Amino acid sequence: MLWHDVRQAWWSFRRSPWLTVLIIGAMAAGIGASLITLTLYHARAGNPIWWKNDRLFAVTLDNRLADPKSDGNSRHPEYPPFMLTWRDAQAIYRSDIPVRSAKMFASGRVIDPQRPGVPMFRAATRVTSADFFAMFDVPFLYGTGWPRTADETPEPVVVISRAINDRVFGGADSVGRSINVSGRQFRVVGVIDRWMPQPRFYDLSRAFDPSEGLFLPFGWTTAWELPAAGPIRCLSNDQVGSFKEMLAAECVWLQVWVELASDEQRARYQQFLDNYVREQKEAGRFPRPLNNRLADVATWLDMNDVVGDKSRILVAVALLFLVVCVLNTLGLMLARFLGAAPISGLRRALGATRRDIVRQHLTEVMLMGLIGGIAGLGLAKAGLWLLHVLLFLPMARQSINPQAQTLAHSMTHLDGLMVLAALAISLIAGLLAGWYPAWRIGRLQPASFLKSQ
Amino acid sequence: MNLRHIVHAMARSKTGPLLIAAQIAITLAILANVVYVIAIHVGLDRRPSGLDLDNIFWVVSQGHAPDYDHARVTQADLIYLNSMPGVVAAAMSSALPQTGMGWMLGLSPEPEGEGQITPAFVYAMTERAVDTLGLRLIAGRTLRAEAVVPPGQHQESQFAHLAPEVVITQRLAEQLFGGESALGKTIHFSPVNRASTVVGIVERLQAAPPLFGSASDMEERVVIAPEVPSGPAALYLVRTEPGRRDEVMAHVEKDFGPTQPGRYIERIETLANTAASMRAADRTGAIALGTVATLVLAVTALGIFGLAAFTVTSRTRQIGIQRAVGARRGDILRYFLLENWLINTVGIAAGSALALAVGVQLATMLSVPRLPLIYVVSGVLCLWMVGLAAVVAPAKLAAAVPPAVATRGVV
Repeated sequence: MLWHDVRQAWWSFRRSPWLTVLIIGAMAAGIGASLITLTLYHARAGNPIWWKNDRLFAVTLDNRLADPKSDGNSRHPEYPPFMLTWRDAQAIYRSDIPVRSAKMFASGRVIDPQRPGVPMFRAATRVTSADFFAMFDVPFLYGTGWPRTADETPEPVVVISRAINDRVFGGADSVGRSINVSGRQFRVVGVIDRWMPQPRFYDLSRAFDPSEGLFLPFGWTTAWELPAAGPIRCLSNDQVGSFKEMLAAECVWLQVWVELASDEQRARYQQFLDNYVREQKEAGRFPRPLNNRLADVATWLDMNDVVGDKSRILVAVALLFLVVCVLNTLGLMLARFLGAAPISGLRRALGATRRDIVRQHLTEVMLMGLIGGIAGLGLAKAGLWLLHVLLFLPMARQSINPQAQTLAHSMTHLDGLMVLAALAISLIAGLLAGWYPAWRIGRLQPASFLKSQ
Repeated sequence: MNLRHIVHAMARSKTGPLLIAAQIAITLAILANVVYVIAIHVGLDRRPSGLDLDNIFWVVSQGHAPDYDHARVTQADLIYLNSMPGVVAAAMSSALPQTGMGWMLGLSPEPEGEGQITPAFVYAMTERAVDTLGLRLIAGRTLRAEAVVPPGQHQESQFAHLAPEVVITQRLAEQLFGGESALGKTIHFSPVNRASTVVGIVERLQAAPPLFGSASDMEERVVIAPEVPSGPAALYLVRTEPGRRDEVMAHVEKDFGPTQPGRYIERIETLANTAASMRAADRTGAIALGTVATLVLAVTALGIFGLAAFTVTSRTRQIGIQRAVGARRGDILRYFLLENWLINTVGIAAGSALALAVGVQLATMLSVPRLPLIYVVSGVLCLWMVGLAAVVAPAKLAAAVPPAVATRGVV
């Protein structure tokens, strides 16, 4: 039966090849454009650690001055600053309520590979505490992270990325080996396998930067006076003339993440934060009403408006384009079916039921939708390749971070989900465009056509 | 031939014309808004930078040795770069123009907490800043070498000892002091709690690619403060004589690094290249929007053509009869053009309303002015013409149907 319908469809295509090409071309263009924009959108809008969305929380405290003019988020003045001061990060990290917690900031260090022919390079660095790796399910190629005991009086240990391991150690298992970081010798304890959370949820100040290549225990911040590479926002008029003054000032530049196992734990931790801020209020800090937030990853991405209106607009335009293509196909299919109505009339007269006719026409439209979908997939692949070569790769080459090219690839990669989306879109589009024409044809009285032949 | 007949005929098969009208409506809404967004992009892209963009390159030196002496190395580097043949001027900077990076501080003509605070980019640069960037000084003077503050120990201490004199852009001067001359006036910086006197005003300096939105001149609010940026990374900007950029750059790339111990050259690039790559994503976005809009127009035109062609084929016999009873070729042609025009106009009317509605939404999303009517009017004219062009061929086909068709077969 299916085979018969497909053959009928084939004959129908043969009868008007130009119309067929036109319809399939329009479908392919609509599906291709939608897939390209959806892929770009998906890369921005995805939650890179969705499986822990109900456990991981970004901590924010509202330490802004009382003056409402000072330092508001222009869109959401109610949001607290997205980063924390040094002393708040230190204080709340001490809580033992969370299962795991990590304090962190972005920095930069120079790595000297000490190998002939391999130049020195600056590595984007994350200074963080021990739980970072287990908390964010960071995959290790060799070794592991460092223990909590390595954090406070810092031990000379580092975790490096696979890309840096390739550059410095030629890809060998470097655990236990020594690496020169800005003139000091460190011991490698772990090598991270490919890990590229996009957006880089744990620090959204540069949401689409690749993850760092070098990880240092948090205690090195003061022991080595590590500079912050991310934004530093000072909320008061404190004198900031030295590193010590900066640690004491009302300047935000750190992130704190906690992993909480249950709602009860979350409530207790929120209570802990509020109590901490109440204590600080007595010392004259935190002049605004209590506004301490625990944001899960999805909420956090939303608060930071990672997706951006421009990608939303592009997706909306592409989907509207798809709607136009479907309407177009609908109109042309209707014309085509009505044009071929006498044949259906003849088939009805020869005993085909109304359902047979509807099914046969639907098959024809779905087939065209499917071909259009496959062609659209090809178009999307070609379009994304063009974007990759013309836009993302040159941008990645601008970056000195060796992981940037992997990132460029992941931004324009058409993954399995998108292939499924293509299939679903084409079938739904085919169904939408085909249902009405097929139904119309099925309702026609065979006699009205036979009469005129 | 009057409209009543046409409407009557169309009422018998509404679906096809309705579909076309809906397509036209959506197409018009997309077209008008996309062209508007692209026009905004192009307008922003064309704003002058104020920089001598073609003759500037930048180089980053990264200190890595434990005994690296930032103050000494940068002093020697500036002498080296400024004495190179082909170099007009070289200066250090805390941030790169055109990238939107660097410090932003709140500025006010009144002391802290009294006046309106205007956020602005603050560049710490060495004394030859204005020459190096190729800026046009329109009032006052440039920075004096004696005024340059030595580098702080850490990047955090930047601007902690802010210089007593600064050069600002004209746009910032207008923002802070309105019509009055800014020369000799004091500006207060928050949150660092410092004040400086304006000694010079430059015509223009774009710190970032222009952005959409209400604060659309944000990128032209810049303060240049005489201060050696802190290390251990040092960003040097070098302006060369016209046409000698690449030659000088090659020399610097080869010889500059080893002139000082304890550092290496991390990066060297032309400013023009940096500016272009900062704008690449926006440009690609605009091109993508334009491509989709063109495709929508093409698909709709094909749809109009397809439906008209089908109508003509299925009405061949009726056309023959009309011809046989006295209709001329011109009448048939006019009938089809008019019928199509009617469908298009219904779509265009709905589309105009849709375009304006989308325009309102877009205006709030991107904080740009509301869609100007001219874009809708142009879109309407464009679609009328495309609709007409798409239907000419089928209508001619209809007009060519001979009256004899009427005699074949029985109706």
